[in-house]
Amino acid sequence: MSIKSSSRLIFTALVAAAFAAPAAAQNIRIGFHAPLTGFAAADGKSAVQGAELAVEQINAAGGVNGRRLELVIQDDQARPDQALPLANKFIGDGLRVVVSGSYSGPTRAAAGVFHQAKVPYVSAYAIHPDITRAGNYVFRTSFMGEVQGRAAAKLIGDNLKKKKVTLVTLNNDFGQALSAGFKEVAGRFGIQIAAEHTYAMGDRQFGSIVASVKKDDPEALYVSGYFFNGGPLVAQLRAGGVTVPIIGTEGFDTHNFIAIAKDAAEGVMITTSLDRDSSAAPMRRFIADFETKFKVPADMVAASTHTALYVVAEGLRRGGVDDGARIRAAISGLKDFEVATGRISFNELGEVYKAAQIQVIRGGKFRHFATIDDPVLLAPPTK
Amino acid sequence: MFYLELLLVGLVWGCTYAMMALGLTLVYGLLRILHVAQATVFTLGAYVGLLVANHTGSLAGAFVAAALAAGLLGPLVYRFIYRPILDKPPFVALVASIGLLIAMEDGFRLLFGPYGLSFAKNTWFTTAVGFGGLSLNLVQVWIAVAAVVLLSLFALFATRTRAGVAWRATVSDPSIAESFGVGVSGVRHTSFFIASVLAGVAGVLVGLLNNLVEPGMGSVISYKGLAIIVLGGLGNVPGTLLASLLLGVVESFGTVYLGKLLDRDAIAFLFLILVLMIRPQGLLGKAR
Repeated sequence: MSIKSSSRLIFTALVAAAFAAPAAAQNIRIGFHAPLTGFAAADGKSAVQGAELAVEQINAAGGVNGRRLELVIQDDQARPDQALPLANKFIGDGLRVVVSGSYSGPTRAAAGVFHQAKVPYVSAYAIHPDITRAGNYVFRTSFMGEVQGRAAAKLIGDNLKKKKVTLVTLNNDFGQALSAGFKEVAGRFGIQIAAEHTYAMGDRQFGSIVASVKKDDPEALYVSGYFFNGGPLVAQLRAGGVTVPIIGTEGFDTHNFIAIAKDAAEGVMITTSLDRDSSAAPMRRFIADFETKFKVPADMVAASTHTALYVVAEGLRRGGVDDGARIRAAISGLKDFEVATGRISFNELGEVYKAAQIQVIRGGKFRHFATIDDPVLLAPPTK
Repeated sequence: MFYLELLLVGLVWGCTYAMMALGLTLVYGLLRILHVAQATVFTLGAYVGLLVANHTGSLAGAFVAAALAAGLLGPLVYRFIYRPILDKPPFVALVASIGLLIAMEDGFRLLFGPYGLSFAKNTWFTTAVGFGGLSLNLVQVWIAVAAVVLLSLFALFATRTRAGVAWRATVSDPSIAESFGVGVSGVRHTSFFIASVLAGVAGVLVGLLNNLVEPGMGSVISYKGLAIIVLGGLGNVPGTLLASLLLGVVESFGTVYLGKLLDRDAIAFLFLILVLMIRPQGLLGKAR
């Protein structure tokens, strides 16, 4: 037998083995979608890392009821039109549970499809209120935008005692939701809104906004957006001579924000769900393991997908792996389940209450500044 | 004072557009190609400039390296992408150009990571220059200086040198120019070289202005560049420059007064539509 034909034989045998292998079928497959390409690819990368770390940790600890977890990862490009075919593919492939490591657009589009198919669906960090309203198979393990905006209002008006605030708002659902939450309760904390300036996702040049902010002369700025807008924006504000406190959002919660804004990032505060100085064991372990595995500091997106994966794994452990309805019931029944971003208990809508962590950037790192633990102010909606 | 500051901000934006759009006009004038992939050259310039600046600490070195890298890439794009399809209808080249832009955006992402990079030391950015109660940073000042100097050099080249005359002759009529002994191929390569050097330098300047260099930074400015050359009257150089500055100022004021309704890019294209409704031939284009 020639080398060529024997290698072909081996190849054929391998292919046959790959399809026949029962080992692969033993794994519990969990669907996961994130923006791996496109404008949100940076967050997509963190999202996948957080999820992979969670799966690795869970498998190292013996998996779920003796079976290993396996992530099935799809790219949604942060686009709603990509989410539907992707959701149908997950359902068609027989996956029993899916996690969104993506933004509101695709998550909102997919949520209804998963609910219809009775596939439990957990959104890790998308903030749009309609996501969980798609139905009771849909859960969210992070803050809603409005809730986070309310926390920022309390921080500025109450903790920092700044009463004249200019808002710089990203004109998508993320920015609008944060701004709406802020404005809803601003009056309660004696805050007067000097002006609100909006900008678009693609903007990196904020000369006209800097000029306007100087004209407004506020005592503090509330700035929404993602790190790739916020980094240049904060740097341009500081370079333009704006020295008042800048309060940002969890969209800035990544070392990439500091890498872009550099010295201008010093003193910037954010509302987030990740407390890097927390003494809670799951959080400490997440931060340490993440930095060992990926050699970069952990961020909010990674902590959120890590959290969502733990929630899903616990649902599978308690509800079994075959029946969506039982998995759903198990997830919705979680009480004070401890994960990297706090203790999780779902309300009837599938939302969680969390205390808001206020982090401040000092010495090029996110540090603890305050915790806003106000179950009334930060209550998620129930319908 | 506030209005004056908005005006300056807008003029600086306009200068970056001018540096991009001049190259697009050159290429369009010569080959009737809408060279969208110019944005790839722009982004390459920005990345090369940033890497050189961060490794050597020299901004001058960064600009030279960016201009060279961009000046090399542009003619290569002509030679290997546009030249083989010159006899096809213009939209074929446009599609190829858009394809290259999209592919290279992901290429940059794979090469340099998705996060975007910023300058380790961006002293121009943090140095404020004040005059008469106004303040600009040094990047904004240099953008204006670079645009004026580079565009003046181009004007001198086009009107005062033999190569410039040959270039203009080729634009008016390639076959007659060729029969008078003008090397059309050389002229085309030179045009891509000039357009690309301008784009590469603009890339570094915009990277400094944003304090961020990222894979997708070229796409918006390229589509806007196309709007500008239409606005200026296709292939019309003074019209292109006027349209660039005007668009920068419209955007600067627009983001403040219309920001709630329309974002910056929407304002730009709305302006384009309004102008074309009144002057379909563009600002300085001749009516046909």
